[in-house]
Amino acid sequence: MRSRFLSGLCSAIFLTFFCTLPAVSGELDQFTSLQGKIDIAGGTAHIPVMKDAARKIMTQYPRINITVAGGGSGVGIQKVGEGLVDIGNAGRPVSSKELSQYPQLISFPFAVDGVAPIVNPANQIINLNSAQIKDIFSGKISNWKDVGGDDAAIHIYSRDEASGTRAVFWKKCLSKGDIVESANIVPSNGAMKVAISQDRHALGYMSIGHLDATVKPVALDNVAPTQENAINGSYPVVRKLFMNTNGAPEPLVKAFINYILGADGATSITRHGYISLK
Amino acid sequence: MLLQGAAIFSALIVLALFGFLVYFTLPLFSEGQFMELFSWHWRPFHGEFGILPMIAGTVLLAISAVLIAYPVGLGICLFIHGLGPTWLARPVLFLVHGMTGVPTVVYGFVAVFFLVPLLRTHFAHGTGFSLLAASLTLSILVLPTIVLLINTQLQQIVPTLRMTTEALGISRVHELTRISLPTASYGLLAAAILGFGRAVGDTLIALMVAGNAAQIPGSAFDSIRTLTAHIALVVATDSQSTIYHSLFAAGLILFMTTTSVNLLLHQIKRRVYREEQSA
Amino acid sequence: MRKRFDLLIYSWAWISTFAVFLTVSCLLWFLLSRGLPTIGKELFFGDASAWEAISGQVRVWDALWPACVGTLSLVFLAALMAVPLGVASGIYLACFATTPFKRILSLSVELLAGTPSIVMGLFGFALILFLRNTFFPDANTSLLLAASCLALLILPYLIFTTQAALESLSDEYRLIGPSLGLSQLQTVFHTLLPASGRGILGGVILSLGRAAEDTAVIMLTGVIANAGLPHGLLGKFEALPFRIFYLAAEYQNPAELNSAYSTALVLLCLTGILYGSALALHKTLEWQWNQH
Repeated sequence: MRSRFLSGLCSAIFLTFFCTLPAVSGELDQFTSLQGKIDIAGGTAHIPVMKDAARKIMTQYPRINITVAGGGSGVGIQKVGEGLVDIGNAGRPVSSKELSQYPQLISFPFAVDGVAPIVNPANQIINLNSAQIKDIFSGKISNWKDVGGDDAAIHIYSRDEASGTRAVFWKKCLSKGDIVESANIVPSNGAMKVAISQDRHALGYMSIGHLDATVKPVALDNVAPTQENAINGSYPVVRKLFMNTNGAPEPLVKAFINYILGADGATSITRHGYISLK
Repeated sequence: MLLQGAAIFSALIVLALFGFLVYFTLPLFSEGQFMELFSWHWRPFHGEFGILPMIAGTVLLAISAVLIAYPVGLGICLFIHGLGPTWLARPVLFLVHGMTGVPTVVYGFVAVFFLVPLLRTHFAHGTGFSLLAASLTLSILVLPTIVLLINTQLQQIVPTLRMTTEALGISRVHELTRISLPTASYGLLAAAILGFGRAVGDTLIALMVAGNAAQIPGSAFDSIRTLTAHIALVVATDSQSTIYHSLFAAGLILFMTTTSVNLLLHQIKRRVYREEQSA
Repeated sequence: MRKRFDLLIYSWAWISTFAVFLTVSCLLWFLLSRGLPTIGKELFFGDASAWEAISGQVRVWDALWPACVGTLSLVFLAALMAVPLGVASGIYLACFATTPFKRILSLSVELLAGTPSIVMGLFGFALILFLRNTFFPDANTSLLLAASCLALLILPYLIFTTQAALESLSDEYRLIGPSLGLSQLQTVFHTLLPASGRGILGGVILSLGRAAEDTAVIMLTGVIANAGLPHGLLGKFEALPFRIFYLAAEYQNPAELNSAYSTALVLLCLTGILYGSALALHKTLEWQWNQH
């Protein structure tokens, strides 16, 4: 209930913000008179889109410096709240606890993304139902043969506490159930993909936007985790990707956010496998 | 005096380090959360912030790395001091010196893409990211420390003995195992302690290779998390909560461990020095 | 019985040595075979031309150049801070300090040397938090902070090597100054320092190698994966060892993984050159003494 209220609030803020902006013609023109630096950190699912935008902007305007770091959604929110970065990315809404700690946070949702359970391409498993997934992650099922696969131990990979991907997967797929302590912990979506692609018996989860041929998404209750299914609502483990600022953004940061929310940003968002909110 | 000032400044840094770590750990004491750290479970989502698994992981990893590296290092020292051909002694020593120059991250990198897949395919057990993989890699890192320390000791002892033992017809093995090594016993001890200290302090290998699951490993093929890796993993999460202060507690424990290791070494050195003086 | 024991010890020594030789060869072969093919202009500068990249006209993307510059500036800054301090402390410990005072000072330097690098990084991180809460609300992790923490890390090495280089001088050298009626300070600067210069330089180079390879410190104090060239002391930066760590965990495609191999090779060469020249200096020094 509260999170719905919060995301409603976020979109409201986002809408008012967007309407007050002057209309821009050329996507990159808004940076013409600007200079300075933007530090970005947080959610690792966002990195490809941020890097893309940074590259385009910095190539044309050498007086603008944009740095992009990861860390995870929790890190992004904390860092932007503390003023350590200008934009803190998060793959989940700001929690009420975080909002009470950093009341000035403003969220800008810019894309929709699903979180998919993934296995190694050599694994025969193509579908798991949600009860099976919960049992695997809580340690009740520990062999692939119990869910119709090879006779081999399941190697569970999970993310650290700062991860928004973890938070969403834990809430919407595992229904806040247990994750065994023996799970291997990797620090980003990229690292998850690398780990799963190298381990035949692995099970993990990651942002649908990051999927490629090196890993195989597993259908959840016979619904394939694709962005189409995410947007039409049939695939349940879905989240929005947010950019957060502490208070109203400065002109340069504002321009960057506009750029991501604009047509160029949308192209880049789609190209990297996410669904633009536009 | 400028020089004195510089020296005092250098010495004060240690105090500053200690002070900062204590300062940032203090909130844990005042809020009575200190005992929460000493639990066997790290489950932040359930409000459990135990760092005992990380302490156990650190100790296990460091001890097993030294256990692997120590015999090998001792073997190399024996090789250099008489059991190998003389012309090979220098190149071997050179090789060990060269190993000190290899960046830790390079060891970790090669372990991730060479050792871990190897372990995974040859032992159909676990993910490869394990205590075993990390301790093998870490043993290569601490090996030069051990070899160079023992070697320095033997260099002072062996040449003075060799002429005598050869004249007496004592075999090389006998000389090394019965005379030289016992004479160098403090050096042998110091090498083990220093190796342990280095192994405890390493971050990158544990972070890249050990798997980072906060648990007590059931076997060498299980994943572990060390204090150092724990710091690197949670360095920037929620700044008000117990997670955050546990970071500094972990740092403080690490600092105190390496400090005790060095104090121990210092004592050993002084005792050796005194014995030399009285002899 | 004795024969068998001897044989056992002999094979132990040989096997140990051979095992380490094999390990190091494996490591080198592994890196060379995978990393060498991708070493080239592309690796360092991406699709920018080398000259444009080096002169800073064009920004370099997905390539090593920013990380190289980052590491070099990091090492340079750390040395700038640590070398004067370390050498001065070393001179003081070797030539001026009185016994009880010297013992306390050397003990704390030893403790500093034993401090894990991640704790040094944590110290820097805590320092920033402290500064933000007190004097400088805008303080942030940056190149300057990372370099300062690295300086602390290499400081004890510098002190040790300077002290050792000075203390290893023969008594004849020590007596030249006083016999000419020079003060202690003049003796140090006119006779002792010039004589031990090579040894000290060797120590300096060794500590540069240490600063170039450390990853744990900079991870907590401002290095990030996508920063471009370092812009200013208070900006974020890239660095070679961190890039290896980052690519190992998050390469997006085989090409990026290959570039990680060659990055590891580049870093290995860099530290190899530094350690090699330190060793060479040490060797010529020994040779020089043997000539006397």
